[in-house]
Amino acid sequence: MLSASAVAEAVDRPTGAVTEETADTAGVTRRVRRLDLVGRRNWFFALSLLIILPGIISMIFRGFLLGIDFAGGTEFDLQFGTTVSQAQVESALAATGTVGTVQAGTNGSFVVRTGYADPQHQQAFRDALGQKLGTSVNNLNTETVGGTVAGETVVRAFIAILAASLLILAYLTFRFRRVQGGWRSGIQFGGSALLALLHDVAVLGGIFSILGKVLGLRIGEIDTLFMTAVLTVVGFSVHDTIVVFDRIRENMIVARSLTFEQVANLSIMQTAARSIITSFTVVLVLVALLVAGGDTLKGFVLALLIGIVSGTYSSVFNATPILVVWRRLAGVSR
Amino acid sequence: MQLVLSWPVRILVAALLIFSVFVDGAGYWYRIANHYPLTGYVADMPPHFGDWQLYIHKGLDIQGGTHMELQLKDPPAGRNLADVQAEEIAIINRRINNLGVNEPLVAPLGSDRIVVELAGVPASKAQEVIGRTARLVTTTWTEDTKSTFDGPEGVTAGYKPAISTLSGDMITGAQAQLDTNGVAWTVQVTFNSQGTDLFGKMTQEAVNACPGSGTDCPKRHIAEWLDLNQDDIAHWDDPGYAANITKTIDQGGKLVTNPTIIDPIPSGTAVISGNFSQSSAKDLATLLSSGALPASINILTSTDVSASLGADSIKKSFAAGLIGLAVVVLFMVAYYRLPGFLASVALIFYAGVVLALFKVVPVTLTLAGMAAFILSVGMAVDANVLIFERFKEEMRAGRTIGAAVDAAVRRAWPAIRDSNISTLLTSSILYLVSTSGPVKGFAFTLAIGVAISLISSIIVTHNLLAIVLTSGWARRQGALGVGRG
Repeated sequence: MLSASAVAEAVDRPTGAVTEETADTAGVTRRVRRLDLVGRRNWFFALSLLIILPGIISMIFRGFLLGIDFAGGTEFDLQFGTTVSQAQVESALAATGTVGTVQAGTNGSFVVRTGYADPQHQQAFRDALGQKLGTSVNNLNTETVGGTVAGETVVRAFIAILAASLLILAYLTFRFRRVQGGWRSGIQFGGSALLALLHDVAVLGGIFSILGKVLGLRIGEIDTLFMTAVLTVVGFSVHDTIVVFDRIRENMIVARSLTFEQVANLSIMQTAARSIITSFTVVLVLVALLVAGGDTLKGFVLALLIGIVSGTYSSVFNATPILVVWRRLAGVSR
Repeated sequence: MQLVLSWPVRILVAALLIFSVFVDGAGYWYRIANHYPLTGYVADMPPHFGDWQLYIHKGLDIQGGTHMELQLKDPPAGRNLADVQAEEIAIINRRINNLGVNEPLVAPLGSDRIVVELAGVPASKAQEVIGRTARLVTTTWTEDTKSTFDGPEGVTAGYKPAISTLSGDMITGAQAQLDTNGVAWTVQVTFNSQGTDLFGKMTQEAVNACPGSGTDCPKRHIAEWLDLNQDDIAHWDDPGYAANITKTIDQGGKLVTNPTIIDPIPSGTAVISGNFSQSSAKDLATLLSSGALPASINILTSTDVSASLGADSIKKSFAAGLIGLAVVVLFMVAYYRLPGFLASVALIFYAGVVLALFKVVPVTLTLAGMAAFILSVGMAVDANVLIFERFKEEMRAGRTIGAAVDAAVRRAWPAIRDSNISTLLTSSILYLVSTSGPVKGFAFTLAIGVAISLISSIIVTHNLLAIVLTSGWARRQGALGVGRG
């Protein structure tokens, strides 16, 4: 018997001589048996459910803390000349006769939300607020979004995520169409990747729903940047899945004596180091950004961080097991 | 693989590197060439080579300023919407010219929207400059027994304004200037021939209303307004309403000036005096000479970022990014030894080329764009890691170093290709679907990053490995980090 890589060599150059041969299939099988991840798939599915379920419940019953670009209205991020308390800002807000909410921002700033106001009314409002508080008001960031635009933004965000998912499904189906079983196999590979990807979106959405609505933290706000993070995570999560699937494709040719489940397990083992190391390096950078980076980016970076960790997990522990289950249900033994 | 390792490709990579070093350090090369000090403010910066300026274009979220999305409201009936939009953009451009904004953006969005980006201008000022419809309306005063409002100065109860046919489009020019005594600021308006005739006739009639020098009566006044309409005049019998309208523009009213006409003015130039400061006279002159907006506007969205917030964020994020990258480089070297070091060199090559591209294209740098850049570094690392892990496997399978490198790159390629294409897919969708500037910036940066990272990881790392591995000391297993799992 030949080693996996030696067989690959033979496949690459069918007429060439196979010279370098060290391992044997027994070695490969030993590695497969050493840690049977695919065999324990139900545990991993359960773990995923355990993480996703509270999030889904929160998403259904509590919804999301919407950023101003989704909610519509005006958001003032203000800094005051003297130190003021949230209660002071709230009473000053009431004194101006404007309906709105006050939240503490970062570095002693306050975030005030009101209905739609055009820039000149914004200026008038800031002046009035300063007058009631008896101090100067410094505008850090004021954003106003009309209701119709907010609606459009939400729709666009959903279209983007849907389109990205479908395109990825189509691309993977196309790429894996040559695997035994043809286009049907392609759809199995693409579909499994898509399910893993939905898992990541659900994890991300759930955690942010809990952060924003259950815990009431501003970092859990859903805005355009969050949707951008979701799409990025979609791309990244598919990275990891593709690496495993690509290895499966290769091993299906190389190790013909193994069942599909064994091939899948072997492929996970072979690519695990890469998946963990890559995600680890990205996580390193993101943690640095989260801890030391600018405040305006923190929610965005947190979303990326959660998504990438989840993406790596789902690629290894969900995508491949789903593929195995799918092929088994479809009656393909390998 | 033969192609990747060939000399033409190597020379191309070297040329790219030299070009990037030139672009990245353009400021310094420029200072050296012109004998300027290497640090501190130099009037001549950013560097320009002919008409070609090289510097990093900062987004509004970094340098502060206003981003607005405007919608055309009540466009004139019977006109092509695209024409109205184009005319509106041209007029807005003329109006903001006076603000002295660096690289203002006024661009169409869809068929009835306009995006405006003004660096360093607060939103309220932007709205003031852009938002006025600014139709100059000239009125005479006619008798109206129902009017009880006593004013403006020189006009008494029993009179209301009557809109004349002299309209804003008959103005050919307007400029702010000091009056003949050199004391007060005025705005001089020039009319075209039709306007000259009309204005001459109106002033003649005003003088005729109560002749004689030094006499005054309401009908001897001609008022200039901004955006006064028939609806306003219909409300004139409400004294409170009329009082609001006759306030000056600065106070939220519509009246510009209401002088007594001393002599008929047949020359076609009118001098508007009011209590102008130099800047308010200039503002009015700009408004009048840039023309009236064909359609008024609705502000759909506006974002008003202070410069301090952006500056603080970019400084922190930049530092954090550097720390993160340094840790990644350390990790790569510690874990993969020599190949890790070579990959880090390739990574620096990558960062240099991307930065150069940002300057040349140019790509506007936003905070989200910076996050995208840092992320794309992660992907550049990913391709290297894929190759190295594969390299270890091939070495363990007993290949020679050269064959292992070759096989590793070849076998890792499909995964690298597919994963990068999936990222390109998502980023192009982001770019196409989104209307938000930062998101577009993020998507574009990510796409550039992914494309360059492919070159850097496949071509640069592979070449570096091939070159360095020909030396003896590098072939020790320890240096290659192969021995371990």
